[in-house]
Amino acid sequence: MSANSHAESHYGAEMWVFPDKTQVTHEVSDRTSAMPTAVTAGLAVTGILLILGVVGFIMRATGDGFGAHGPWGYYAAIFSFVFMVTGSAPLAAAIFRVTKSHWRRPLTRVSELFAIVGIFNIILFIPLMFVLPDFRNPELTPLATNQLDLRRTIWFEVPIAASAPHWLNMLGIMGMTLCALLLLWLSAVPDMAQARLQATGFRRSLYGLLAGHWHGSKSQWLNQKAGLALLGAFYFMLLVFMQFTISSDYAQSLIPGWKDSIFPVIFTLTGFQSSLGLMLVILFVLRRFGGYQGYIGISLFWSASKILLGLSLLWVYHMFSFGITFWYGRMEVEQNILKYLLFQSYGWLFLANITFSFFLPFVTLLWNPVRRSDWGPALAGVWVLIGAFLYCWRIFVGSFNAGDVYNIGLEHVPSFVGPDLADILIVLGGLGGAAFLYLLASRLIPFMCVWEIKEGAMYQYMGTFMRGRYLVLAKPE
Amino acid sequence: MQEGRVLPAKEINRDLLRSIMTTPNWYWVTVVLMAIIVIGAMSAAGLMINRGMGLTGLNRPVMWGFFIVNFVFWIGISHAGVMLSAILRLSKAEWRRPATRAAEVLTVFSLMTAVTMPLIHTGRPWRLVYWVYTLPFVPYDFARGIWPNVRSPLVWDPSAIFTYLTSSILFVMIALIPDMAVLRDRTTGIRHQAYAMMAMGWQGTPRQWKLQIIAGILLSALILPVFVSVHSIVSWDFGMAVSVKSWHSTIFAPYFVVGAVHSGVSAVVFVMILLRWIYGWENYIRHEHIDALGRLLIVVATGWFYFFVMEVIFGFYGREADEIAVRDFQFTQAPWNLWFIFFTGLTYFLPVSLWLFKWTRRNLWIMSVACISVNIGMWLERFLIIVPGLAQKQVFTFDWYTYAPSAVEITIIGGTFALVTLLMLLFSKVLPLIPLYDIKEGDILKTEIKIGRATVPAVFRED
Repeated sequence: MSANSHAESHYGAEMWVFPDKTQVTHEVSDRTSAMPTAVTAGLAVTGILLILGVVGFIMRATGDGFGAHGPWGYYAAIFSFVFMVTGSAPLAAAIFRVTKSHWRRPLTRVSELFAIVGIFNIILFIPLMFVLPDFRNPELTPLATNQLDLRRTIWFEVPIAASAPHWLNMLGIMGMTLCALLLLWLSAVPDMAQARLQATGFRRSLYGLLAGHWHGSKSQWLNQKAGLALLGAFYFMLLVFMQFTISSDYAQSLIPGWKDSIFPVIFTLTGFQSSLGLMLVILFVLRRFGGYQGYIGISLFWSASKILLGLSLLWVYHMFSFGITFWYGRMEVEQNILKYLLFQSYGWLFLANITFSFFLPFVTLLWNPVRRSDWGPALAGVWVLIGAFLYCWRIFVGSFNAGDVYNIGLEHVPSFVGPDLADILIVLGGLGGAAFLYLLASRLIPFMCVWEIKEGAMYQYMGTFMRGRYLVLAKPE
Repeated sequence: MQEGRVLPAKEINRDLLRSIMTTPNWYWVTVVLMAIIVIGAMSAAGLMINRGMGLTGLNRPVMWGFFIVNFVFWIGISHAGVMLSAILRLSKAEWRRPATRAAEVLTVFSLMTAVTMPLIHTGRPWRLVYWVYTLPFVPYDFARGIWPNVRSPLVWDPSAIFTYLTSSILFVMIALIPDMAVLRDRTTGIRHQAYAMMAMGWQGTPRQWKLQIIAGILLSALILPVFVSVHSIVSWDFGMAVSVKSWHSTIFAPYFVVGAVHSGVSAVVFVMILLRWIYGWENYIRHEHIDALGRLLIVVATGWFYFFVMEVIFGFYGREADEIAVRDFQFTQAPWNLWFIFFTGLTYFLPVSLWLFKWTRRNLWIMSVACISVNIGMWLERFLIIVPGLAQKQVFTFDWYTYAPSAVEITIIGGTFALVTLLMLLFSKVLPLIPLYDIKEGDILKTEIKIGRATVPAVFRED
């Protein structure tokens, strides 16, 4: 596999990998069309979880209906978790491409494949359209001083407001999914054009259809790169906007008196952090057990782990900014919100959340030898994923069960609401469904972006500098 | 794409030490002019301290005006150093090399200037001694049992700023050691002795280089939390005040930090363009560097704009009458609404639209206009945060009044700009504003790769 000898490099033989570009297409195609037992088992397990989730959903819908939003807290939590992680994932490919990070190449397709899970996000969101409380207070008591006629939302009092969050959020999620699918397609076109020459049967027809008239002319390459940059920028804006609306409509606006401008930023940051964590976990599995050791070097984990460390620090900084501003202000409503979400009702969950989202990844990634391994960043990835899940649980279940949404402020501290059987099944189903779709997509579209891997192989080699061996990296742009 | 040619070390030394070894005519004229403005500002400050705060436009309820606006502004400019030097050094961005020193030095001088502002604003700067409350020769606090409120952001401020100032000076000094040694070897007499002392026996041995590089990386990592904390704490001077509507916002800390980076990096770009022009450093500060900084600024500006939008939306979100009144003031009432349009246009829409195109990013005149525009806009931003919020009637005030700066305030503010320019000019006379060793290192790491029929520039990388 390796055309470059670099064992004498002071960073070790596995730091950088140099795939043989004449073999990449064959090898990746073979791995994609193969159906190892582990993948079959994975599909079976996640499929069963998805079915359990459907059962849980039916139990919840028949038991509680869609009239009150409280019982749907765990459903909102798992939707927000899946949406937050899988929605942010395709952005990694777009951002690292724009910043020309050379280590990104094995990561791009792993991240773009999450576009397929966007379809699951759309389906998951449908019930949430029905459970959101009306803007207008249906039981407004005349002369009541602690009630609002219109609850606080980011849509204010615009004429479309009565149905704004439901349909605009749905349109936004659909737009995001479409944009992510276009990104995936545009990125995969060159690979599919090559793969259609080798594939047979259904795959050949599919690749032929999706590759269109691609034959790799200079103008096609230029258009493809410009399209990827434009779509990436558009996806970024759409994602940040949707994370703002989802976090505001399905969390902040449901807790009376919670006015927190940093909350959408924290939600977005948690999404970036957890999606990068998830990709590191997937890349670790592919490297150790998927036969992609020749494509995924340690340098990827090393570079990505620094970004994960930075995101973890940013996460805790933003949380601190929120906490200290509310704590120092000493206003009753803010104190109650702190007690509710941070110190009392969901206090233990907050402790676990901050441990997994900050302390554990920080302690893990602080050490350079750990960052310079594949297991260290992957372990930190697991921590931040657990942290993100706990975050969604704390925030969304808390928001859905905070009491009267038309109240002017949180006058008391509501209690913690634990999950029942339907909630547990819904959570399992949400996780299983997303994983099922991702695994299924990976059987059709390879985990590795072949053209980017080949491009990377041309741009780098090990060269001698003074007495050492170092990476030589081309900077053509 | 690397556009510059690899220069011999001798030529690099000659070019970059030109500002120290020779003195053009314009230099002393500019120094004297700046010094006159600074002396004028010091006289104005002296007069104000002698006669009292009545000479300023400050009055109930607007007790914070130009001085505090200018304080926040200069703290913001000081964020350029760490952004460009520490973060880009850690991320190994090759194009950082010519910008680092100017950014670090600008950090130190703008911080020094910033700390003068609250002192002048107190009206009685000698009372600074009460902040140092534990010293035994200050019996005032002990005698009356009066202690500063350690929970006050006004106690956090000096702690954070002086930590940042100390670490920034250390950061500059560490990076200067190899260049001091070059100067030591090229000077005679008292200058030789001074450079020899500051070079601390530097001979350029492998061990010394290793220690210098490790110290630089460690300081880069350690200074980052300080960098974030400084402007966060400045933002909490406002954010913790619940009585002033529009200030009590959870997003203020990151919003201020990103805004500081935005104005700081823009200021550094402008300084770099000036340096290229006045010292003829076309081979060192190239269009590719300004282009890369322009692209970085698009990201920073857009990040800042996102925080700004969040801050405004959640200002309205609460639908509280007091806060809506402040927002109404900012958005609909003249002249505030006009200032607001200028502020958003100058800070985001004009510069970002100019940075979007490669040809505009490579036009130094356009880049200068864009960067100055950002800094005027960011100064206005601080003004529009502070004054309209205070000008509304508060719970504990009985006045409803606006604010207009007096001639004394305007003179003092003008003096701070002259002071930073003066300090930069004086620095450039004794030490190089572009790090010699960093430029040489960048040249050594350059190489080429043959891809097909094309020869592509390349670099040796450690990661």
